[in-house]
Amino acid sequence: MGAMAVSRTEVAHPIMPAAPNIWRRLERRPGIARLGVVILLLLIWEIAARYFLDRDFISPPSVVVMSLDKLFGTPGVPSALWLTLYEVAAAFVLSVIAGAGIGLAVGLNRFAHQSFMPIVLLLYGIPQITILPIFVLVFGVGVASKIAFGVSHGMFPIMISVTAGVQKIEPVLFVSARSMGANRWQLFRFVIFPHMIPSFFTGMRLGMSGVLLGVLLAELYVSTAGIGYFTSIFTQNFDATKLMGLVSMLAAIAIALNEIVRRAELHYARSRD
Amino acid sequence: MNSDGRATTQQRLLSRLMQIAFIAVLLLLWSLATTVWGVSRILLPNPLNVWHQLVEVVSSGAFIPDLKVTLGELTAAFAIAMSLGVSLGYSISRSRFLIKVFEPLLAAIYAIPIILFLPLYVLLLGLGPGSKIALGATISFFPIVLSTIAGFGNVDRRLVIVARSMGANDLQMFRHVLLPAALPVILAGLRMGFTVALLSVIASETIASFAGLGHHIVDLAENMDTARMFAYIVFVIAIVAFLNAVVSRLERWVRWR
Amino acid sequence: MTPAPSAISVHGVSHQFGDSGEARHVQALLDTSLEVVRGELLCLIGPSGCGKSTLLNIMGGLIAPTTGSVTVSGKPVRGPLPRDLAFVFQESALFPWNTVFENIVLGMTFQGVAKAERRDRAGRALEAVGLLDFAEYYPAQLSGGMRQRAALARAISLETEILLMDEPFGALDEQTRMVLGEDLSVLLSRSNKTIVFVTHSLGEAVFLADRVAVFSARPGTIKQIITVDAPHPRKPSFMTAPKFHTLRDQLYGLLHDEIRKAMSETAQARRRYDQAGAAKIDSGDRT
Repeated sequence: MGAMAVSRTEVAHPIMPAAPNIWRRLERRPGIARLGVVILLLLIWEIAARYFLDRDFISPPSVVVMSLDKLFGTPGVPSALWLTLYEVAAAFVLSVIAGAGIGLAVGLNRFAHQSFMPIVLLLYGIPQITILPIFVLVFGVGVASKIAFGVSHGMFPIMISVTAGVQKIEPVLFVSARSMGANRWQLFRFVIFPHMIPSFFTGMRLGMSGVLLGVLLAELYVSTAGIGYFTSIFTQNFDATKLMGLVSMLAAIAIALNEIVRRAELHYARSRD
Repeated sequence: MNSDGRATTQQRLLSRLMQIAFIAVLLLLWSLATTVWGVSRILLPNPLNVWHQLVEVVSSGAFIPDLKVTLGELTAAFAIAMSLGVSLGYSISRSRFLIKVFEPLLAAIYAIPIILFLPLYVLLLGLGPGSKIALGATISFFPIVLSTIAGFGNVDRRLVIVARSMGANDLQMFRHVLLPAALPVILAGLRMGFTVALLSVIASETIASFAGLGHHIVDLAENMDTARMFAYIVFVIAIVAFLNAVVSRLERWVRWR
Repeated sequence: MTPAPSAISVHGVSHQFGDSGEARHVQALLDTSLEVVRGELLCLIGPSGCGKSTLLNIMGGLIAPTTGSVTVSGKPVRGPLPRDLAFVFQESALFPWNTVFENIVLGMTFQGVAKAERRDRAGRALEAVGLLDFAEYYPAQLSGGMRQRAALARAISLETEILLMDEPFGALDEQTRMVLGEDLSVLLSRSNKTIVFVTHSLGEAVFLADRVAVFSARPGTIKQIITVDAPHPRKPSFMTAPKFHTLRDQLYGLLHDEIRKAMSETAQARRRYDQAGAAKIDSGDRT
């Protein structure tokens, strides 16, 4: 209240003419302005690519969109996209199992936490891209290495979030449940599980990003039938249109998957605390 | 949660022992695997060989040309990201409206795995340092611009008002009020930007390059020189850890200048 | 140029926030006029939301009034006048990354004081508020009362004729308030500054002021100006004098109705807000 309620514009410009009405209305709708910015950028891309730049290197968005059917018509591309989806899904499921499992084990046991958490954090800090060649050496150039590398990226955030979530449970809840005669399974189902859900979903959101990153890195590194293979081919053939189309499709998949986990997180985080 | 102080120290010692034991067992398994159990040397090199290779690499300075390439790409990428990120971030932060328009947009783009841009950059700029610098700059840009917006945008309005009332002009306002207030947040963003730039440079060297540390590891893998590859991997991990530590130290030092 | 008799002249100032018809429209001040005499301490007192802080900001050039004008020492106010007015706010607004000394020097840097002079002035100002020993401390290391002293020192160092103080002791405990009030009175007697002081506290107003301007509830306008005829520096014993109580009762009488009005207006506004929210839900709008 008082002096600090001074509006910003009034301080900056003591004498300010009344702003024209349309500007004020726009000020209230940043969403529209944002849309405008995106459209503007697309227009710049379109015009620059169409009239000024080399078609071998950049393709205008209109061409990319219209050639999507040709992209999907290219033999192997649709199955490569499905393959990527499969790799991500498999890696994600495995990450959740491994991450939640280890996270619970380490989180629930004080001694395990003290001993192994530093190791977990140390491993999490390693730049995993450096060991990608090892993964390929061990798991081969096929689907297995992509899934493995995805799991390697995805399980740590889940592990760490679950551990943190379990640690937050107040000990008094354990004590009171035990005093009422709860056995191990009941303890898990009624005390541990409900309380770790928000952290679990946060971990899943981070885990999904990790899995996506891991699978994509592995694909781009070496791929015989996946999207990495096709990005190589399109790059070598200077097929900018198909390359941009493929990248857009992958970006769309990534956005969709991220949105799903994000929404899930919001929903489950809200209905708890 | 330990009410008994003595138990904590005892437990701490035990956990420390546990960790050492864990690592020791791993090393033991590794040695056994390569000697007695006969795991292919191409798959898993003998730990002693790896050690010898590591010593050789470091002492001979064989890593230097690749290190130069990687560091050069990193420097260029970070410099670009920092100048673009801070200036754009500052400009956007000047208006509440601009912040509401651009901040969500930038945050949304940052959520996509930007590694996807690598093939596009390789198509545009080839396999040389250019594409690495471009990707590194792109990835590094986002945490920097977002933290700059947050830093300058969240300066306590009261401080700005007080400075204005004392007659501060725009330059003085920036230098004496906005910048010191925003600095901690911006520095955190710069540190994050540096880390992702480094990781991205190494990643893109691994995937599509003909020089640099990342590429060298791949090169050794393709030549099945697994022992030396392991040595290089250890070396690169050490370099990354070292650089990150230096940057952290730097951040703390600037904060207290 | 002959010095104007009034330090500050306020002519028919009205101010509104937002446009009429908008949800956030508020008529803060209505046709307020006032002459601040040179060398006096004038208190502005009134119920919450009556616009006294807004008027202070308008006087200091931080806000442009919707209608009306203000002159300071004969000059029309079109923006901050750092050489004529210095502010002290309720939250000390010291820069947390600077020491007390650096804060004071910075204020003078903004004002354009020559480098050589800054150190001396800072020293004198710190001495005047009794903080010389704490010059190298950071604001976070000081108590609330000391921070406000530092803010006061900063304002003093600017050597302006006029000080505008917006509830400067509002966030402090009563004992600190009383002591700082006494110190302010001493300061006033030693210098020939003009002070405009916004407060909520009746006792503080009577103790410190030469004149007290009583505001009505929103939209604010000056209801009456009461004169306190007692020389500065005022001793604590003044607070037990019969004159003090008479004046305080007089102030309370004037304010009581306005405070009630302000409270009922708040209740009405709350009811309107709730009804509007209910109507929106009925009409199917997502809130």
